[in-house]
Amino acid sequence: MLKVVALAGNPNVGKTTIFNALTGLRQHVGNWPGVTVEKKEGIMKYKDKEFLVIDLPGTYSLTAHSIDELIARNFILEGNADVIVDVIDSSCLMRNLFLTMEILEMGVKNVIIALNKIDLAEKKGVKFNFKKMRKVLGVPVVPTNAKEGRGIAELKKTIVEMAEGKITTNPVTPVYDEIIEREISHISEVLKETALAEKYNLRWLSIKLLTRDEEVIKLVLRHLGHEKMDEILQHISELEQHYKRSLDIIIANQKYEFIDSLIHQFVTHFAEHKETLSDQLDKLLAHPIYGIISLFIVFYFLFKFVFTVGTPMQEALDSFFASLGDSIGSYITNETLRGLVVDGIIGGVGAVLSFFPLVFLLFVAMAVLEDSGYMARAAVVMERAMRKFGLPGKSFIPMVLAFGCNVPAIMATRALDDERDRILTMLVNPLVPCSARMVVITFLAGVFFENHKALVAVSIYAISLGLALISALILGKFVIKGEESPFIIELPDYLIPSWKTVIIHSWERSKEFLRKAGTVILAGAVAIWYLSNYPQPVGTGLSYAEMIGKTLEPLTKLMGLDWKAAVSLIFGIIAKENVIATYGVIYGVGHTEEALISLMRQAMTPLQAFILALVTTLYLPCIATIAAIRTEGGTKWALVASLYNLLLATVVGILAYHLGLFILG
Amino acid sequence: MLMYVRLSQMREGESGIVVDIQGGAGARQRLLGMGITPGVRVWVIKSSRPGPIIVAVGTSRIALGRGIADKIIVRREL
Repeated sequence: MLKVVALAGNPNVGKTTIFNALTGLRQHVGNWPGVTVEKKEGIMKYKDKEFLVIDLPGTYSLTAHSIDELIARNFILEGNADVIVDVIDSSCLMRNLFLTMEILEMGVKNVIIALNKIDLAEKKGVKFNFKKMRKVLGVPVVPTNAKEGRGIAELKKTIVEMAEGKITTNPVTPVYDEIIEREISHISEVLKETALAEKYNLRWLSIKLLTRDEEVIKLVLRHLGHEKMDEILQHISELEQHYKRSLDIIIANQKYEFIDSLIHQFVTHFAEHKETLSDQLDKLLAHPIYGIISLFIVFYFLFKFVFTVGTPMQEALDSFFASLGDSIGSYITNETLRGLVVDGIIGGVGAVLSFFPLVFLLFVAMAVLEDSGYMARAAVVMERAMRKFGLPGKSFIPMVLAFGCNVPAIMATRALDDERDRILTMLVNPLVPCSARMVVITFLAGVFFENHKALVAVSIYAISLGLALISALILGKFVIKGEESPFIIELPDYLIPSWKTVIIHSWERSKEFLRKAGTVILAGAVAIWYLSNYPQPVGTGLSYAEMIGKTLEPLTKLMGLDWKAAVSLIFGIIAKENVIATYGVIYGVGHTEEALISLMRQAMTPLQAFILALVTTLYLPCIATIAAIRTEGGTKWALVASLYNLLLATVVGILAYHLGLFILG
Repeated sequence: MLMYVRLSQMREGESGIVVDIQGGAGARQRLLGMGITPGVRVWVIKSSRPGPIIVAVGTSRIALGRGIADKIIVRREL
């Protein structure tokens, strides 16, 4: 068993940069068991020794009110870590030491403080007496500037020494006023009689009881029984009457006062409180009007960058897979095997894989916005507009990314710290048309509406986006439980992102996309290849795909679409551009566009083409997206999203078709 | 001029001392963790209705929705 090093700390303190500096590329991203909170693990090497580094969720405190805080707290509480590294932002000591005190108060001794962003603090004029700081806090303190690698070697060395038991600590813990202290000892006395005494720090349990921490109340109740518990709670109510406030406020307050008294012992110069460059930028970028204008400019250039760089790469990959298929195909004599390999595996997986450059670049763009501090401002600017539809401002980012590709967009929902918000954003996200659906929409609009193609394309986008917002409103009210979370967000100083962090981050995220291409998407591609080639190939009318299409025809007929459309839609589940390609296969004209266009024009009216484009946009998300929802939100929500979209597409398709018939007479 | 106001009523450039935080335990404890606690000095960097309000707490900057800013009572410094 490797020894475990856990990283704790506030958000935006450079915890991830420290994590990367400790582990390099030897890392793995997954989820904490049972929840959709990201769990990052990596291996730290020191000489010939290896350690498992676990990145705990970034939190401001350790209450029971958010899942992130509970994960971090339980991890520490269960004693899972051999060393806890508390990463703190040295330019914002007061607030960061609050979490430190919450950790130390749990009675843990194996803590190291990484005093990060030390360069920034020094630039702001803060000066430390490190020796005094170590003495006052009672644990090792290592000044670091993770971005430039300063202090990392010493941090590693200290971690190893602590893991090997070579460091003795004497952590400081907050002291409260007499009344609170008396109550803490009183409750501790009562708890001493129970089995809790063996496993938990009684002082910590007592303090958490005073703040009416739900999880601790539940835990203590199991050991103490109702009678004694009521007695304690009665006492707490009396105290609250005395202070005329809930005790969580009083305790937090006294904790901050205690921290203030500590800081004055080891900080020799303080930063001036004045308007910073970030504040001046925020006057523009967080402004209700200029902010929105800047937001549009930022995202315009973001997509311009992603598509300018990514589209040629996508096309190159696409033709690479085509010629790969051809050249491999020429070596396979068995026709069935050739079909499976060339059309099924290389064709199907290749179609999805060719999107990899776009996905990766979107992640890069997103990581740059995140690490520069701009994401928080985008959330501020969009907060009011999004809130009208029951979504938080932060969900704007995943919604915008979805115009590129829904897969990174779904993964970006991780940035939302509330479970309800996260699931809701995930469910409506597929309704934002991605670039693959843009291909279908613009193709059909161009073929059938030469004079009004822009109008038609825009109207499909408008319907889809409108439905996304309405769906958010409806699903948020009736399907997903939970209160809307209040809007509280820290605005970190604007920073130039570290390229290393951006690239590692983007690679970690997009690696999951590649893994999916090798598993779920491969399986899906093979299945669809089978359906379209057995018992007879597509085009003969005897394939399973066509049979399914014909079975579905009575339903699609309600939207004015025949079995060919039904088959195309089925294949579109692999990748949405397949909707058009399938028509080519059915008509037996392959990729010759002109023949396809004239055949489609004969077979469909413009109204039917409009409906096909609309339904393609709305129905089942592609396999990669469904897989992403499953990873991020679980199987249940992947099913809900799929069924909801399918139902919505059917209803809207039928309505739009009949409305169209009515208008056109 | 009122001494005690809700944070949401403060104007850009004004500052004051937090005296109370109302509202549910969840939101309150998040504010406490972020350093917004009674006795702390806050300074309004940006407040343009109806958008969120941005305050400085020590060296950090926090944006708050109007709803939650309504629940923070501040003694305004003149």
